[in-house]
Amino acid sequence: MKRKRNNRELRWLISISRPYLGWMMAGVLLATTVILANVALLSVSGWFITAMAISGLTGAAINYFTPAAAIRGLAILRTAGRYLERLITHEATFRLLAGLRQWFFEKLEPLAPARLQYYQGGDLLSRIRADIDSLENAYLRLFTPSLAALLASFLMVLFLLFWSPAIALTNLVGLLIVGIVLPWAALHWGTNSGKRIVEARAVLRQRVSKTVRGLAEITLYGDSQQRIDSIQEENKELVAPQRQQNRINASSTSLNGLFSQLTWLAMIVIAIPLVQSGQLDGPELVMLAFFGMASFEAVTTLPAAFLALGETRSAARRILDLVDAEPAVSDPIHPCAAPQQFDIQFDAVCFRYPQNTQPALQEVSFCLKQGEKLAIQGASGSGKTSLTQLLLKLWAADSGQISIGAMNLENLTGDTVRKLCSVVSQQVHLFNTTLAANLCLAKPNATHEELVEACRAAAILDDILALRDGFDTEVGEAATRLSGGQIRRIGIARALLKDAPIVILDEPTEGLDAATEQQVTQALARLLQGRTAIIITHRPQLLTLADHRLMMDNGHIVL
Amino acid sequence: MANPIPLRDRKHTLELDRWLKNQAKAVKSPLNIAISLGSINGFFLIAQCWLLAHVLNATAIEHQPIMAVWPYLTGIVGVFLVRAILNYGNQRFTFEAAARLRTDLRAKLFNHIHHLGPAWSREQRSGARATELVDGVEELEKYFSLYLPQKQLAIIIPVAILVFVFPFDWVSGLILAITAPLLPIFMIIIGSQTEKLNRQQWRSLTRMGAHFFDMIEGLTTLKLFNAAQKEARFIGQIAEDYRLQTMKVLRIAFLSSMVLEFFAAISIAMVAVYVGFRLMYGDIHYLNGIFVLLLAPEFYLPLRSMGTQFHARMDALGAIEPIIELLNTQAPTEHNGKLELCLKQAPNITLSNLVFAYPKRDPVLCGVNLTLPAGSRTAIIGLSGAGKSTLGQLLLGFLNPTQGDIMVDETPLAHIAPSSWYQHVSWLPQNPTLFHGTIEENIALSPRLEGHEVALQQAAEDAYALDFITRLPQGFQTVVGDRGQGLSGGEIQRIALARAFYKDAPVVLLDEPSASLDPHSETLITAAIARLAVGRTLLTIAHRLTTIEQSDQIVVLDSGKIIEQGSHDALMALNGAYTERYNQYRKAGL
Repeated sequence: MKRKRNNRELRWLISISRPYLGWMMAGVLLATTVILANVALLSVSGWFITAMAISGLTGAAINYFTPAAAIRGLAILRTAGRYLERLITHEATFRLLAGLRQWFFEKLEPLAPARLQYYQGGDLLSRIRADIDSLENAYLRLFTPSLAALLASFLMVLFLLFWSPAIALTNLVGLLIVGIVLPWAALHWGTNSGKRIVEARAVLRQRVSKTVRGLAEITLYGDSQQRIDSIQEENKELVAPQRQQNRINASSTSLNGLFSQLTWLAMIVIAIPLVQSGQLDGPELVMLAFFGMASFEAVTTLPAAFLALGETRSAARRILDLVDAEPAVSDPIHPCAAPQQFDIQFDAVCFRYPQNTQPALQEVSFCLKQGEKLAIQGASGSGKTSLTQLLLKLWAADSGQISIGAMNLENLTGDTVRKLCSVVSQQVHLFNTTLAANLCLAKPNATHEELVEACRAAAILDDILALRDGFDTEVGEAATRLSGGQIRRIGIARALLKDAPIVILDEPTEGLDAATEQQVTQALARLLQGRTAIIITHRPQLLTLADHRLMMDNGHIVL
Repeated sequence: MANPIPLRDRKHTLELDRWLKNQAKAVKSPLNIAISLGSINGFFLIAQCWLLAHVLNATAIEHQPIMAVWPYLTGIVGVFLVRAILNYGNQRFTFEAAARLRTDLRAKLFNHIHHLGPAWSREQRSGARATELVDGVEELEKYFSLYLPQKQLAIIIPVAILVFVFPFDWVSGLILAITAPLLPIFMIIIGSQTEKLNRQQWRSLTRMGAHFFDMIEGLTTLKLFNAAQKEARFIGQIAEDYRLQTMKVLRIAFLSSMVLEFFAAISIAMVAVYVGFRLMYGDIHYLNGIFVLLLAPEFYLPLRSMGTQFHARMDALGAIEPIIELLNTQAPTEHNGKLELCLKQAPNITLSNLVFAYPKRDPVLCGVNLTLPAGSRTAIIGLSGAGKSTLGQLLLGFLNPTQGDIMVDETPLAHIAPSSWYQHVSWLPQNPTLFHGTIEENIALSPRLEGHEVALQQAAEDAYALDFITRLPQGFQTVVGDRGQGLSGGEIQRIALARAFYKDAPVVLLDEPSASLDPHSETLITAAIARLAVGRTLLTIAHRLTTIEQSDQIVVLDSGKIIEQGSHDALMALNGAYTERYNQYRKAGL
């Protein structure tokens, strides 16, 4: 079972990189070339000067043009190869990055928000960020180094076999120990402390942020010295596993050096009697000695690749688990066209979130005529928001029927339904671009006059024009200067621009002070004109906009 | 891709570099030991090459049997072992040096945060800043453990090798000596160009990353506007543009490392060819020649690995910036009070002619005169920005008034030791913080009192929190944490109230939440506050009519001045600012 899962991740990684396989293989070949050029450079140099020395001593003629030229050529090949390799591998990485991001976004879209709501906002985001990062780097950190190491090692051992099977075997064993056994052992022993480091860092981070946030409470209620001490304690908790990791890493690199040195020394020891027996000559002995020394450059990148393998695999697993979730709502195979009439009807609708035991909605029925406004009240968790989520087709009801204009929601696509509805909620997400672009989200081809008109109706026009760059102000900049009330009115302007026949308000005035609330409510009144609306609120001001009221409790309509 | 941090300019970079090096002085001894170990390792490397040269000379040229070179071979194995140990020691010492630095820096930062106090922390973006500091300090690890020692070794080892190469073969020594300084020079010439390009590239990478994750964060919004599919194509497009743009930069940026590689490779080739020809002409002995060739690649190795440590430096410089900024932040208040306060009952608190202004800014409070009679309830109302919270901060002693006095009975607050005053005040913020720990620990934040168990139960009961706490599976031992998992806003408020009951301080400051709670919690909290008010001097920054109406005294604050003051009835009779606001609140149903 576990093996199967591992295969799934690797298979997926390979399938996602298939379009860029040409670039990737080119990168691997170049990396191999660089390694081999370096080994050849040193080996030929060793052979060359020994042969030259012997020729100087014996006076024998020697063709020195070819090796001298080869030495220079290899030096240039190594340099140019390295340059090209880096260009090609980066090219491949960026191509992969573009593909991966688009793929991921497209996969995530049908899952939002239903399947994503169990991941806390910031948590999900930072996790995805880290995972996508390690996948994007997989090629640079994992694929190229390990494939190039394998290929280069294979070719090197093949070359040595031509001279002496014993030497080839010795080198192979050394390469295996240094390239695979030692890094694997280091990784294995380090798993535990690695986990502890991650945990300790999270604890420390949380402790510090809480301290900053609750500093007043600590000062007034607690013992600050005790808190400083406990942070010191937690710092120690972090350093201890790091120290252990450092011991493991230091041992592993030292042993790495030791084993590679012992290997090439063993190769020399094996080769010396072969010179005595005449199977090898002097220059060849020196060549093999240099070859052995340089050969280990092929596997120096493998420990890092091992580390990347674990990371990449878990990142791939998490990303796959996320996107493999079944969308909460599926679209009909033969969707109907949008209704022309906008009565909203709920008929004995029941709904339960998969992770909860308590139903969110039980036998909810009501009917709202086109143009009427319905206010829904109730404590948090009573099912108000679930009701609107079902209406927006972000979730599907377990039983019962929802219809817009006598058209069952099941026969409409989610996109069609959402085109009919504007939503203004407590949280208005403004994207990190200009205010104009944020408004145009609702109507991509809106003219400037339309923007101005919508903003005037939402009572936000003057505030926007007061900003130095007006509609072209970047949101990042604006967010520090716009208040909660202003951001909410931008949300209302966006809903006005969308000009949908149904409006859903989810506590749009929550958390505003009395004066701001009045402004926002007036803007909302203009938005609701002539539209069918569902208004979730406790606020008496907002309740005056409604024609009917409903009270919900524990998923039931109680009034 | 690592966190890209755009650095400002060269001068600024050097300044940060200097600051980091100054820090390293604190761990001079372990760092120096590590560098010494590294240098000794370099000498053993030279010895290793020398022994190996003898082996190759004896076997390849003189055709001696293996028996003849055994002493050399054993010597080489010995050198291997010593070098492995030195290598291990080097890594351990650099780690310890960096670990100590990180620990010290962290302690310094936390002490400084406490020194800056609540008046500073309320201005901070919750924990985001602090998180930066935790991870920022971690980023320094590689700077101290890799970059700094490596920088020294990159000079020591090549120089040592040169010293040995020259006597054996001065021509090769010259080749190495000439090319080695060329490396850093070329690096600097090309580097300054590529650094600029690199910075641009990092910035556009950050922007692209930010766009991508912004889209994911707002996915639901995109979906509600039917714009998600379009954005998906757009994301692919942006990444594609980025690739074209970046590759243009990289083609130049990679040149710098190519120069490094080129000189390293071509110098080895030159040494090999020159040595070869001079061997043929019998100018030098083979032993010397092979020794020099063995040393040549080792000569460039430390310089080449400097290049890879460069990233560690850039990361550290980026991370250190907010840390230095924080350490240079001045505390908003200095406390000089020494008096120990001892109150038997709720005090009278008098604010006379209170003025407060942040340095170089317009005053927030201008001449506030107000008496909070012992055991009474006072409510402050006013628009945001009127100075309400500043008044609260002054009363808590988190800020010092620019002018005027706060008198606690007969004692000026400025004369009271802060820790002593803090023992006499409770504070309920709008959004109370629940610390990671049990509910019990969250109510009894202060050192445990005698009869703790009873006091805890009583405090919870007085705050109308006992019911829901006992209904939790683990009762008081339930662990709460991030954002008060599993507790509603009203429940968190009641735990904060229990804190105040448990502490039983004679002065209470209350900042009412402006967000509405469910009606049930609302009623309970109002009742608990009424209970808390008994026998205490209580000041409320009020947002609700019920609280305002129940107060003995109401203060209307506007632009840092008290414009109306009195009981509800008296103020209604005035038919002024209070009446206007009262009607507004009523209409809003608060």
